[in-house]
Amino acid sequence: MAFKRQPEFKYENCVSCSICVQACPVGALDLTRPGKSGRYRNLFPELVNERCIGCGLCAKGCPMECILMVIPYEG
Amino acid sequence: MKSCTGKVLRVDLTAGTSIVEKIPDEVYEAVLSGKGLGAWYLYKNIPAGADPLGPENILGFTSGALTGTGTFMAGRWTVVCKSPLTGGWGDANCGGVFSPAIKQCGYDAIFISGISEKPVYLYCDNKGAQIRDASEYWGLDAVEAENKLIADNSGGKIPRVAVIGQAGENVSLISGICNEGGRIAARSGVGAVMGSKKLKAVVLAGSKPMPCADPEEVKALSKELGRKINKMWIPKGLGGGIGFMGIGMGKMPSLPLDGSMTSYLFREWGTPSNTPLAITSGDGPLKNWSAGPGEVGGLRMAFDYNPEKINKIEESKYHCYSCPLGCGGRLDISGVPYSEYYETHKPEYETLQAFGPLCVNRDMNSVLYLNELLNRAGMDTISAGNTVAWAIECYENGIITKEQTDGLELTWGNWDAEIALIKKMISRDGFGNDLADGVKRASEKYGGKEYAIHVGGQEPGMHDTRNDPQLGIHMVAEPAPGKHTIGMAIQYGAMSLCDICSWAPPATIHSKKNDLEATEEMALTSKANTCYSMLMDGLGCCYYAEMMGVHMYKAIEYANAAAGWEYDGDHYMKIGARIQTIRQMFNVKHGYEPSKVKLPKRMQGMPPLKNGPLKGVTLKNEEQVAMHWKAFGWDEKTGHPLPETIEALGINRLMEM
Repeated sequence: MAFKRQPEFKYENCVSCSICVQACPVGALDLTRPGKSGRYRNLFPELVNERCIGCGLCAKGCPMECILMVIPYEG
Repeated sequence: MKSCTGKVLRVDLTAGTSIVEKIPDEVYEAVLSGKGLGAWYLYKNIPAGADPLGPENILGFTSGALTGTGTFMAGRWTVVCKSPLTGGWGDANCGGVFSPAIKQCGYDAIFISGISEKPVYLYCDNKGAQIRDASEYWGLDAVEAENKLIADNSGGKIPRVAVIGQAGENVSLISGICNEGGRIAARSGVGAVMGSKKLKAVVLAGSKPMPCADPEEVKALSKELGRKINKMWIPKGLGGGIGFMGIGMGKMPSLPLDGSMTSYLFREWGTPSNTPLAITSGDGPLKNWSAGPGEVGGLRMAFDYNPEKINKIEESKYHCYSCPLGCGGRLDISGVPYSEYYETHKPEYETLQAFGPLCVNRDMNSVLYLNELLNRAGMDTISAGNTVAWAIECYENGIITKEQTDGLELTWGNWDAEIALIKKMISRDGFGNDLADGVKRASEKYGGKEYAIHVGGQEPGMHDTRNDPQLGIHMVAEPAPGKHTIGMAIQYGAMSLCDICSWAPPATIHSKKNDLEATEEMALTSKANTCYSMLMDGLGCCYYAEMMGVHMYKAIEYANAAAGWEYDGDHYMKIGARIQTIRQMFNVKHGYEPSKVKLPKRMQGMPPLKNGPLKGVTLKNEEQVAMHWKAFGWDEKTGHPLPETIEALGINRLMEM
């Protein structure tokens, strides 16, 4: 439990294609995070609830290699 | 085919049952998935003469062969059926997220026949399918129903929903099927077929893996494309100049363009970037297809529809599944005083043109509101816009009176009356009831047939055939006539098909007058364009990927990597020809005579326009269509596929599977 991995997003290369969102088997991701900067007002993926099971299907599916599965630092 | 599940779900709403059917691999080899699989299945399983609104008609929801493989821009879902609008082949295509959801339930397609006694919805997840009561959703608009269905089926995988609004429930023959808050598979009257079956929605919540032969190779192709798109940008504020660009384009010869050009425009503004260009260049029909830009204040109107205005109220971009481009957007329309809605999807060019310049309406806010009304009702904006434009011209010419319109003053540019009429059409109220089945049927009741713009019963998309004669061929020869998406000169000029297909003519710089002639080269061009579009439909790819051209969007490489094949472009183009031929065979089987489908006189330039970029243009459409059919190996007089062509494409053997 303590070592459950979660996706960490590298938004620089993200193209908002939502392949990761649809790959998630438990509905833990959605395109809801507004872009911090840039002109294209894209929405980016983020965890939207506590359902993530750490399966890594989002990272596996991402063509732009924007997702790393990491153990969240809770200190 | 290693990128497909090899299974379809067959549902019988009369009996309340469903079964899973296995599809032979040879079928995928021959027609791929998507529209191809749909054409094969419907040709075999809908009996000749079946009532499109009866239990024998089959409504199919198909995903694409590349959907879910990691391929970019491969998230289109196609609805197939026998069309109640034309009486022949029907299909409609949509983005959003529904296509992968079909595959994640373990199917390549869902085919639904029969009629339920009471409103129902189909629910599918990893465990299978259930037909559920939909009485509490019936009567809601498409957005309300979708939101409620998602809320009522939440808790795990986000359900994806295809749903009809009031127009589909009312069996309006110009209604479609929606997903993602009003994005609509609009054409061919597919919503009416769903409504006739008392099927409110299909809700999919599966999470099965989607197959792919070589996911790493597919991802590498996507990464290359994604990087290119991420680097694209256009200096801000140029939208206001697009109208001037249109004036220039209207005077220029036909030019092959770089495939990336439309991507730049669509990434910045979406398809509304085309509106000012269309108004001034001759591409967009004006005043019910009757006028040149000078007669409607063309350049001023181009500024009215400046896409920068839309960007200013865009809250966020909207991307369909697997799309890095993002031509869609969510708009804040809280500033539209008469709108009860605060948001809408960015209207497509087609919607803007149909309710704006086609009706000589200069108020873009009214079109934003109409867009939301029609998306929620699930009514086709192209068909509805053409029908309203006909009603206005009839009213202006005294064919329809104020008494008949229930008191509406249907004059050019009266957007208030446009809105009132659309509300009547959605609810089938009074005069609106007679217009809710499209312009052909309305003109049969009221007269004014010379103003009724339709091709074989379906209202045409918002691109003028006099500006692009090749489009005129497709609009007539297409088994679902009136569609603007199958091929155009500008599309062909951007695709570089000659680099993947041995018989496709190269795009050249030439005078537009050359396009008016019926030549073998023109026929091969329109055939090649059709075959590639059918290929994209079988793969589930977006036509904006097609317009990127074969060097930027590598559909053949994608297909080989995902399916585990090593075929060349000629092989894939033959698949496209096969899909198109089966669709035409469907029409012939059902007594739909291709030779009876004609372009309206106006769209042929009979009489020609007196001013503007299309001044004096008259098409030789019938000769061109005959040559197009001949190039496909179909009878040049009847449009029926010849027996030797059917045999050469292996369709006889395919239909025995």
